[in-house]
Amino acid sequence: MKILIADDSRVMRQIVIRTLRQAGYGGHDLIEAENGAVALELVHTQAPDLVLSDWNMPEMNGIDLLRALRASGEQVPFGFVTSEGTPEMVDRAMSSGALFLIAKPFTADSFRDQLDAVVA
Amino acid sequence: MSADLDQLVRAPGAADVRELLTGLLGRDVTLEPSDGFTGDAATGSTFAVYVDDQLTTRAVAVVDLPLSAYAGAAVGLLPAGGAQDAVAERDLTPILKENLAEVLNVMAALLNEEGRPHVKLADVHHVGSWPSPQVCADAAATGRRLDLTVTIPLYGAGRLSIVGVR
Repeated sequence: MKILIADDSRVMRQIVIRTLRQAGYGGHDLIEAENGAVALELVHTQAPDLVLSDWNMPEMNGIDLLRALRASGEQVPFGFVTSEGTPEMVDRAMSSGALFLIAKPFTADSFRDQLDAVVA
Repeated sequence: MSADLDQLVRAPGAADVRELLTGLLGRDVTLEPSDGFTGDAATGSTFAVYVDDQLTTRAVAVVDLPLSAYAGAAVGLLPAGGAQDAVAERDLTPILKENLAEVLNVMAALLNEEGRPHVKLADVHHVGSWPSPQVCADAAATGRRLDLTVTIPLYGAGRLSIVGVR
């Protein structure tokens, strides 16, 4: 399957990719976006099967990306990977249509806990 | 707890800092209490400014030159030698600065807690660009601060202070 990773930090995208491999999801097609606006475009042109997105990003943040996707009828599975981990932010994420929120810093186990149900 | 305290940013403990940095850097970071660090004008330091949703400064983090280089290198799995060169030259490469900014971004999680104002990283003043007098004054505030010496295995040690501003 194709997984889109949206994060404005290049090193964090590398860490997410490394952690996906460590968690056993190394064989998937991974594409990257440096902000929500780029990610929105890539969802429409590349049709990923899963979006893993940061919350705080320039141009378009993660929650606005998620809302724009759902407003356009796009139902791609969406999870946050973010330093935002309080219950309020998790509630905001879920009520906007996210499947899960993985808080930074994360481990391969925290990826497996959330992704096993989504990634075939 | 008084209403005033409810308005303050969360004050992280050393154990919170160790857990976050160990997870993010993938190494067993060790911490020791340290004297208050407010920046080193001679060699340069990194200042991170954290704001609430009204853009009011709630906390400042100060990182000395060595820890700036070591954390920026460790998070990206970059060689320790490059970080040591950066310390010797008193300047960080663009990739070290970019990586360090992400470490400081993730550290915002230390300041957030349910029921308190939400804060996020707003600005990073890297080594070589001294911040405004207000940021320096915030970094020097007494009282609500956590002053640590942080050792990153295979890289080295440096100083980190996290200061609650208001």
